[in-house]
Amino acid sequence: MLTAFAVWLRATPLSIAIASHDWIIPAVQSLHIVTIAALIGSVLVINLRLLNVIEKGQAVTALMDHYLPVVAVSIIVLALTGGFLILGEPTRALFRITFWIKMALVLAASILTWGLNRLSRTPAALSGAAGATQALKAGAVVALLLWTAIIFAGRWIGYTEGWPGAPQ
Amino acid sequence: MTLNDLVERLKGTPLSQAISGSDTLFPLLECVHVLAVVIVVGAIAIVDLRLLGLRARGRDIQELLKQFVPVTLGAFGVGFVAGALMFIAKPDTYLANAFFLTKMVLLALAGANAITFHLIFHRTLARASAGVAAPLPARLSGLFSLGVWIAIIACGRWIGFTT
Repeated sequence: MLTAFAVWLRATPLSIAIASHDWIIPAVQSLHIVTIAALIGSVLVINLRLLNVIEKGQAVTALMDHYLPVVAVSIIVLALTGGFLILGEPTRALFRITFWIKMALVLAASILTWGLNRLSRTPAALSGAAGATQALKAGAVVALLLWTAIIFAGRWIGYTEGWPGAPQ
Repeated sequence: MTLNDLVERLKGTPLSQAISGSDTLFPLLECVHVLAVVIVVGAIAIVDLRLLGLRARGRDIQELLKQFVPVTLGAFGVGFVAGALMFIAKPDTYLANAFFLTKMVLLALAGANAITFHLIFHRTLARASAGVAAPLPARLSGLFSLGVWIAIIACGRWIGFTT
């Protein structure tokens, strides 16, 4: 079914148009990476603050309010530019395991970030209770590892072979 | 010693041959490089957008610099080392690549802008505390920085499409 979808996608006029201009894919990939910079800059501030490394003078919730909208918009732009890249080369990423690992990691990191935001606003976290603070710190470490893994997986899509039976 | 001699000597080093001879070392260096680049640009953008008055207007610029310059420099160091190792693996390919050479020029411009900012405009920021707009030279420096770093990302991505 995925193969039929990719083959159909490749035959659409938009996919053909993208494929016929060499500069479109690198340009959209560049936009994708610039957006990753916006996302990573934002999650870095949030998680390093949770770990008490930077921005110690700022309230966690204030930083969440400031940076989470950037995270949300970035993820939407990344989905759009990523979707556009798939449209341009439908038989590439969809058939590589690293792409699906990256998607699973993005889902996990997004849910974790949402959870950390919720937890940071609980009375226990706001009053600085040890349990909540420790949980937020542990979550921040996992989040930073997840975002790092997402970048590694993203770069590795280009080095992964399509799985057996993938369309050429 | 000509540039060609230098390239040949680099390619003859065990480090160069180890990286270019491995299936995984080069992609791993790329991963580390991309991670470092997005941290550098992400952190720089936070300061630049404050200078431009587009984000975090309520924050003191000096305080933001104190928080984010160390992050930027640390990530830049990591990205530089990873990039240098990638270069050593195939110096001739990079030196023949217009996007690589452009990226190096842009990096020099970004560095010159950062140094100028810290040596000159930085002093004018004493007045730009929380809620106060940055002086025009500092704002222009932020705009230049943002543009150059986006161009650096684009050039970096394009290197891979031209080798």
